[in-house]
Amino acid sequence: MPDQALRQRAPLEALARPGRFGATSAAAGVMLSEIRDRGLASVAARKNQRAALLAAAKSAFGCGLPTRPRRAFGRDGLSFVWAGPDQWVAMLDHGPVGGIEPRLAASLKGLASVVDQSDGRAVVRIGGARARAALAKGMPIDLHERAFTPGDAALTFFSHINVHIWQVDETPTYEIAVPRSFVGSFWHWLTEASAEFGYEATGSNSSA
Amino acid sequence: MLLIPCPYCGPRPEIEFRYAGQAHVARAADPSALSDAEWAQFLYLRDNPRGRHAERWRHTNGCGRFFNCIRDTLTDKIAATYRIGETPPDLAAGAEARR
Repeated sequence: MPDQALRQRAPLEALARPGRFGATSAAAGVMLSEIRDRGLASVAARKNQRAALLAAAKSAFGCGLPTRPRRAFGRDGLSFVWAGPDQWVAMLDHGPVGGIEPRLAASLKGLASVVDQSDGRAVVRIGGARARAALAKGMPIDLHERAFTPGDAALTFFSHINVHIWQVDETPTYEIAVPRSFVGSFWHWLTEASAEFGYEATGSNSSA
Repeated sequence: MLLIPCPYCGPRPEIEFRYAGQAHVARAADPSALSDAEWAQFLYLRDNPRGRHAERWRHTNGCGRFFNCIRDTLTDKIAATYRIGETPPDLAAGAEARR
């Protein structure tokens, strides 16, 4: 037996160097960070349980599950992003490791399948005055403020990598969930796309 | 590029989608009762209209769902999209594309 304890590592821990990169002529146009203290779980309605699930979630978490591509906020740092018809990604800010699945499963037993995805996805936060221009280089959807506003979400791709994006605020700030094994390629593309605007990377960002 | 209105996600660019053939091709309840000609008709023969065509599309790089679409093969104009299992909209009555 090796006497080495397994250590939990964030997906971008070895890749996202903190600092200021790219163009330095003006203030950084893009701010990049990885959210490392958030629990994620997929929630999928069981057959014919959709109405019961929506009602149960509303009473248990204080918010309705969105039925179109949006993000809804519940109590105690819990939020739900639409992830396809009758599917959602649940997120828990500052969640303890492995804490989200039991918390959801107790209230949704028999109504939805809940599977922890915290280690399966990396969540990257992209903000700043030029964030939209940087994302437009790799993403086919319209992120203009007329078409995509805070709370809106979309399943799409960025440089051929399937991603899940939602807008946080009007800065604009976005968060993008990427399959963990693709996050290296994603980060490479994102930093190249942001370089002309100058970007500031912080290794980690608290989820709130 | 086409802008295709996914019934679940809203209007999205064509590159997020995959074409999935003609829609409403029903499989016979008892395939063994069909003649070879009828089976070949089901397997291989498809309409090839010049004009409106009901077809399936899949939003592969989005919600992943199949849906039906009525597209004009001449102009590429999409007259309507609707969910699997829904009745095709009555386009003669002037139904607009779903947004």
